[in-house]
Formats: sequence, C-alpha cells, structure tokens
Amino acid sequence: MLSARDCTQSEGLRIKNLSVRYPRRNIPALCCVDELIEHGELVVLAGPSGSGKSTLCRTLSGSVPDVIPADIQGGIWLDGTALLGQDPSHIASVLGYVQQDPDAQICTLNVWQEVAFGPENLCLPVEEVRTRVHAALSEVGILDLQQRSTTTLSGGEMQRLAIAAILAMGSEWIFLDEPTANLDPDGAEMIFRVLGDLRRQQGRTVTVVEHRLAPLVSYAPRVIVLDHGRVVERRQIRSHYDLAEMRLRAGWPRARSKRSPAEGGECSRRTPLVNLVDVGFGYGERTLFEHLSMSIGRGEVASVIGPNGCGKTTLLRLIAGLETPRDGIVDRDGSVPLGFVAQHPHHQIFERTIQREYAIDGIHDPLEVDRLLAEARLDGLAGVSPLSLSMGEQRRLTVSTALSRRPDLLLLDEPFIGQDRANVIWVLSQIRKASERGAGVVLVSHDVELVASISDRVVYLGDTVQMGSPDFVFEALAAQGRHAYTPGYWEEGR
Amino acid sequence: MIKILAPSGRTTCASGPVSGLLFLGGCVSAVLVASGITVKGVVLVVVLAIAHRCAGSMAIFARKLRFVALFSLVLLVSQALSVHVGHVVLFGRITDQGLLLGAEMALRFLVILSSSLLFVAMTDPDELTHALIRAGIPYRFGFVLSLAVRFVPFFSQELARVREAQRLRGITFSYRRPSELRRAIYYTFVPVLVSGLVRVDAVTMSMKGRAFGANQRRTWSRPLRWTTTDTSLAILSAVLLAVSIVARRFQWI
Repeated sequence: MLSARDCTQSEGLRIKNLSVRYPRRNIPALCCVDELIEHGELVVLAGPSGSGKSTLCRTLSGSVPDVIPADIQGGIWLDGTALLGQDPSHIASVLGYVQQDPDAQICTLNVWQEVAFGPENLCLPVEEVRTRVHAALSEVGILDLQQRSTTTLSGGEMQRLAIAAILAMGSEWIFLDEPTANLDPDGAEMIFRVLGDLRRQQGRTVTVVEHRLAPLVSYAPRVIVLDHGRVVERRQIRSHYDLAEMRLRAGWPRARSKRSPAEGGECSRRTPLVNLVDVGFGYGERTLFEHLSMSIGRGEVASVIGPNGCGKTTLLRLIAGLETPRDGIVDRDGSVPLGFVAQHPHHQIFERTIQREYAIDGIHDPLEVDRLLAEARLDGLAGVSPLSLSMGEQRRLTVSTALSRRPDLLLLDEPFIGQDRANVIWVLSQIRKASERGAGVVLVSHDVELVASISDRVVYLGDTVQMGSPDFVFEALAAQGRHAYTPGYWEEGR
Repeated sequence: MIKILAPSGRTTCASGPVSGLLFLGGCVSAVLVASGITVKGVVLVVVLAIAHRCAGSMAIFARKLRFVALFSLVLLVSQALSVHVGHVVLFGRITDQGLLLGAEMALRFLVILSSSLLFVAMTDPDELTHALIRAGIPYRFGFVLSLAVRFVPFFSQELARVREAQRLRGITFSYRRPSELRRAIYYTFVPVLVSGLVRVDAVTMSMKGRAFGANQRRTWSRPLRWTTTDTSLAILSAVLLAVSIVARRFQWI
C-alpha cells in the first residue's frame, strides 16, 4: 500500500524538520521537529498541554491533515517509505494510533466486532480475524467482555478495548495518547504492563504520551520532551535517579504536605455544609455504595478516590442534588452557594465571549472580569470566544467562573485530566484559596499524589469504604495491598 | 440473530435482520392491502404479541407507543367527526362509515409505527448494516447506519450533562419569551454541537486509522445466521400478506 521508497533514509521512523500549523493559528503546533525512533524502542512523549504531543501522533498517523486540516512542512519516513501525503487508512496497516478519549473512537456496538473492525478492513481471512481478535482481547485482559455491548463498558474497559482494536491491526508501530488518563491506578498499572509486554514479547515499537513517568522507568524508556511545538529535551531513562534529574515533575506538589490530620479533624467538627447519613445508591440492580455517612465542614478539602465505576462522580452528583439517594439522607442547605467544575469543560461553557461567560455568574463589571482573567492567566481574552481556548485554558476558565460566585461548597470532578504541570498547580492553588476562605471542597481524582498533597480527608470508594485522614487511608490501602492507590507508588515506582 | 438490547445490554429476544425486514414489510403491506379493520386488528395483535414475548424491551416499547396510540385516537375521532356518509350511530352525528374509516386509518397508523418500532428494537444495527451491504450497498455508506445508532445515546447523554451544568450554574429559562427561547437554544445546542463535532473527528480518525476505506471490499467475520425464529417470522409475514389479499378480494370488514 505504501510506496515512494526513499533508500537514502535510515531504518526506523525518521521525522525530518517537521512543522505543522493549523488554519487561523499564528503559532505553529509543531516546529522543526527532527527525530529518529528506532525499531523496538519505548518512547515517552512528555511536555505541557498544547506542546504538540497529540499533533505529532496525529500527523504520523496521517489524521493531520486528512481529517484535521493543517499546513505541513518537512517529511516523515518509515523504513525509508514516505508517510506524509498517504491516506491514513493506508498508513493504518503499519502504524496504529490510540487516541486520548476511548469512548469517542469506538465505532461498533459490540466488543468483539469492534476489535474485528480493523482486521476486517484489511481483508484478512475470517480465521485470521478471529485469531487476532482473540489474541488482542487476551493481551489487554478483556476476553470475558467479548460479547458485551460497547455502550455498557466502563472508562477503563473502553480504554483497553481501544488498545485491543489497534493491537489487532498487527502494526509494529503503536502510538498511544495518554492511555491512562481516564483510568484508576490499578487500570493504569495494567496498561503500563501491557505497554512493556508489547515491546519485550512482541517486539513492537511503542510511543506513548504520558505524564506519569515513574511506573515506566523499569522499561527504560527514551523520553522526548516537547514544549511550544519544539523538542526541548531527549533522554534515556534507566533509573529513578535519571527521572529525578530530568525534573519533569519539578515543582510538583510533594505528597502529604498540606496540614496535620489534627487540623483536618477540627474542620470536620465544625458545622457541616453537607451531611450524608447512611446513604445508599445504585443504578438498576447494581449497588454502588451502601450506608455511606460523611460530612463536609467549612474549609475542609475532602478527596474521593477509588476504581473506575465505583461511584465517585455519583457521590458528587448526590451532593450537588443531581441524584436522589436510594437510602439515607443527603442534607445540604439549598441556600449554600455551590460551585461545580465538570469533568469536561465544554459541558459548562455557554456564551459567545468570556466576558459574557462571567456575566452568567453575576460578574458584569469589566474590571472585575479582567482581574479574574489575570488570576486565571487568561489576560486580555475577555472579548474572545471561550470555544477558541485550548483545553487547559478552558479548564482554568471553568474553575475561575465556578469560583467567581464565591461558593461555600466547591465540587470538582477530575479537574486534572489532560492538564499540564502549570495548570495542575494553578487548580491546586485555587482549591487552597477557596478552602482558606472557608469553603468546603470535594475533589474527585485518580491522581493519588495530588490528592495526598491537598486533602484534609480522603474517601476511598471500592469494595470496602475507607475514610479518614490521608495518612490513615493510604496506610490502610497499603496494608490491603492496594499499592497503586498510595502516593508513594507513583512517586518512586515499584 | 436479532437481539433486543435491554438497557443493560443483555439480549432478551432474538431473530435476524433479513427476517426482521421481511416481517416489517409483511405487516406494512398487509395493512395497506387489506380492506376493513379485521385483518389490520389481527396484524396489530400479532405485532403486540411478539413485542410482549420480548419482555425485556416491553417497557420501553410501551412508552414509545403511548404517543403513537394517542395520535391514532386523534385520527379516529377527527375522521369520525368529518365523515357524514352512512347511518348515524352515535351522538346524532357520528356515522358507522365514519367510525369504520377512522378505525381503519388509526389501525393502519398504529401497525406501521408499532412494527417499525419493534423492528428497530429487535434488530442489531451492526447485523442490519451487514445485511444491507450484502444486498449491494457500498460498505462505506452501510456503516453510516451503525454509526448513527452509536451516536444516539451519545447525544442524549451530552444533552443531559449540559442541562445539569446549566442547572448547577443557576441558568434558568422562561420559554414564553422569544429572546429567552433563543438563549435556551443557544446555551443548549452550542455545547452539544461542539461535543458532536469533536466526536465526529475522533471517530473518523479512529475508523481511517483502522484501514476503513483502504480497500474496495472487506471481510465479514460474523456470518449472517438464519434460525427457526427467522423462518417462523418469514412464514408469518407471508401468511399475513396472503390473508390481507384474501380480505381485499372478498371485501372483509
């Protein structure tokens, strides 16, 4: 399928002077990228959001400019064959790309059918299709789901399905865009193991966009750091020492640095903003939790962690009054101002300009809007359409608008997904500020490291519910063997 | 095999897309061909009986049918009131001819809608796509059907999330004022549309990234199956059609 062989190029994936510019953007998304990825390597693409990681993956897979128009200069050769200008459906047989949102890339209604979709398009014989589907589903550990409808899968199951669908294509080169972003710590660990096996046992070349590097150290990855569309650092990581030296997470908040547990205890003794008494909830026949009792006091930061599908978001929804509990009482004074930051920013952006977006929350004074925007590092953008902002900027805007009404209770659902270091630190600072002002905060997150750094109290929802000070809960989880749910695991790796 | 997908995704009843289409065709032609209300009534009973057998989807089926039933009643009443031919039988105004015509029209409407709903509920869109492509539709177009079905729950979920976000931010609309209505539409459809467009890009990249469209043909690893349920449905369709032809020939009421 691929042609235009250029024998002067060396073996491997050669990217030469690649620049990509999207229409109506002044700054290129990628600028003069020169890189050689050799057969059998494990490469990690790191860097802040908007630095060009996804654009690089999309350009290599041919989706840019075929699906997303862009102006491209430079060249890409795979084992001497030019990839640029090829149709993505032709590149697919040699290079697979797993996108960031697993739900969005599923195109059939049944798990088995989804994995068979690619091999069927390659016109493989039926027996070969079946063998590949079986192998790919086993590889990611979801063979038992093969007859399930794709609409009933959890986030973690969908992520594994998306990976299996690409594995079944049989391509040697696999690119994965933040494959663990939506996963609970156990799920993330499983994906990292799969990535390692793909290279070691199957000899595939794996490139992964990932923020969490510690768990990958044992696979000795080569890390390429992008910033503003340029490669700013390349380094082979062989130990945690190498990683520390790279200081990729320099300035990240260290675990357990917030307050003493005693202080947290004091918070919860104050008049609670919301009180959950013996609450039970479930969907249909499935029970998510039973007899859950907790209260959120003024100035308290309570974080909810746990496996995918355990009911973390549901707990937020119950507190917000979007769901009615099956049993028990959720007691919240309706007059307490509420701030809610949804998982996806675009669900809560409604207006044509940022100025008008603040007006929804009662902020009409342009000077006040400017002050809030400066605080959110969105200076001078008041007249701009919020939809033209990057994901990271949209996240800052939604946190800023939620806080502009000075809520007494702030609810945040996975505010760190897909956010770079600077944004994470900014969101953490806003949470701290709100709590210092006396607001109660409930934070749902998979990132136990960040949770440990900010929380007065941690709630683990799972087969058993653990609740208490961060130290208490993480020690209890470690004692149960749930190491992936403890911050130390993500800091130092295994 | 057709499957009725219960909300949980479990299969509760089965038959195939081809027999499903035959049955739909059989029911629709029977009510169009047959004269009078007897055959139409029988067809409706058959459709409802089959829907009832597949108990898992009956609740959704009944909910969807409620509006159709109401509309049929409106048809019946308006027809009865507007036809003045025949003997007056009710309220000094409604005639037997009017009632008969109204009932015929209502039944026809009910059967066409309920059998279509039953077909949609019972057919696995992936299998229907497969059957259509086998019948000669190019596979790139055939897949639109599967995708459309994938997108329906997505849009309803997005709509629900956007509405919740509005509620939590204290955004309320009074639908009586046109300016408010415009604002409501803008506030609701823009976020959903944005999600939709992002989604379309993602699914296109995902499909092309798995060699969709690279070749003129593709493999189908799931064979189209034909079971006794399919045979029974096909025979039933033929019988319904035959009875309706007889009914027309002998002008049954």
